[in-house]
Amino acid sequence: MLWSRQCFIRAAVVGTILLCRPDLSGAHQQFQSPTPRPSPAASASPSPMPGTVEKPTQPELLVIIDPSHGGDDKGVVFAPHVFEKDLTLAVARLLRKELQDRGIAAHLLRDSDFSIPLERRAELCNQQRPSLYIAVHAGEPGKGVRVYIPILPPVQQSVNGFLPWEAAQGPELKNSNAIAGAVTRELKKKDIKALEMKAFLRPLNNIVAPAIAVELAADRSDPHSLESARLQTAVATAVASGIAQARNQLGARK
Amino acid sequence: MIPRHFQITISFLLAAILIAGIFIITLRHSEETKTQQGLAAGPQAPEAQGKEETIAVLVAYDEDMALRWRKTEAFMPDERDLRARAALRAVLAQYQQSPSPHPLASGADIKDVYLLNDDTLLVDTTAPFADGHPSSVLLEEMTLTSLIETLAANVPGITRVKFLVDGKERQTLAGHVDLMNFYQLSAVHELAKEFE
Repeated sequence: MLWSRQCFIRAAVVGTILLCRPDLSGAHQQFQSPTPRPSPAASASPSPMPGTVEKPTQPELLVIIDPSHGGDDKGVVFAPHVFEKDLTLAVARLLRKELQDRGIAAHLLRDSDFSIPLERRAELCNQQRPSLYIAVHAGEPGKGVRVYIPILPPVQQSVNGFLPWEAAQGPELKNSNAIAGAVTRELKKKDIKALEMKAFLRPLNNIVAPAIAVELAADRSDPHSLESARLQTAVATAVASGIAQARNQLGARK
Repeated sequence: MIPRHFQITISFLLAAILIAGIFIITLRHSEETKTQQGLAAGPQAPEAQGKEETIAVLVAYDEDMALRWRKTEAFMPDERDLRARAALRAVLAQYQQSPSPHPLASGADIKDVYLLNDDTLLVDTTAPFADGHPSSVLLEEMTLTSLIETLAANVPGITRVKFLVDGKERQTLAGHVDLMNFYQLSAVHELAKEFE
């Protein structure tokens, strides 16, 4: 009896403090929307997504660009000092500029050299409720650009209205296909060899918005070809044009 | 004063011990070298279990970014899990040839295969299979598609496959393609058509 009375008094005191101290009661909001946690190697780097901190206005369309790899994760090593992580960041920055020039808001998941775990990339993207997620990769073999769309397991049953994490992409798959088609067409229009393919590529399946990946391809015989600023700009321009063409499929942010 | 014949006997015994010691050290060294060479080598030829069969394997060709069916001879046991391992090793043996159509790291092999509920297969690969795999969306996807499609062709009834690396789960094969999920064979069939 005495114990339950003490508990009641403690609960009342804590509740009063929380009501009087909005700074403390807001702690749960920080938990729901945590800021990105880059790897220790990147602790000195700027915040990866300024948009998570200040959101004065919500643009109608928002594209999240994910330069793959980073930090210790170099990705493909094309040649000494030619890493996939650097090429993807360079192309992602160009793509952001091209999209902004077309009036489409775009954020990078990382804007410097640090690693983000794959699951965290999906979380960061989903928190922003974007209109499109686009991952940028570079790899062997071949030439041109490969545009990937996710493959989902055939059965995607929701449990109490929630989709499984691995099938979160399900409802947006049709839009992802449409956007990949538009991007591929624009690349071909610019005389860039383009191939549309499906892939079990993480974290595409975990994204709750239309999601595609573009992979710039290089042959082993020509490992430095992807460093060409001209090629990178041409690809970024074509991809941005494709996204602009597919505005109807993107829809407004939820 | 030690008798002369006793001195001679002791000398012979010491010499025999010395020679035996040197022989044992040499033997041990040569065995260690053999073991290391065996570990570093690619997949061993399938154990001579079961009868020799001509099986179909789906082989990845990096040069033209394609997957093609090839016939090869392999010893195929009757047990489904052993049969699955033999089929997977037959594919990897194709990649260890020189010149290789789809080079994989030395030591890339299948450690074990576990059959669950008759339709799900857990494939445990060696660490070099993933650690030394070329990092590329396309190349990683070609490796997994060739292995899974070969399984489907030679071990009927399998509907789901999951890959482990050295007994543990890993997020991706080499930074891109998913290893956390179970691969549904129907989805992989769909993907394989793109490489034809």
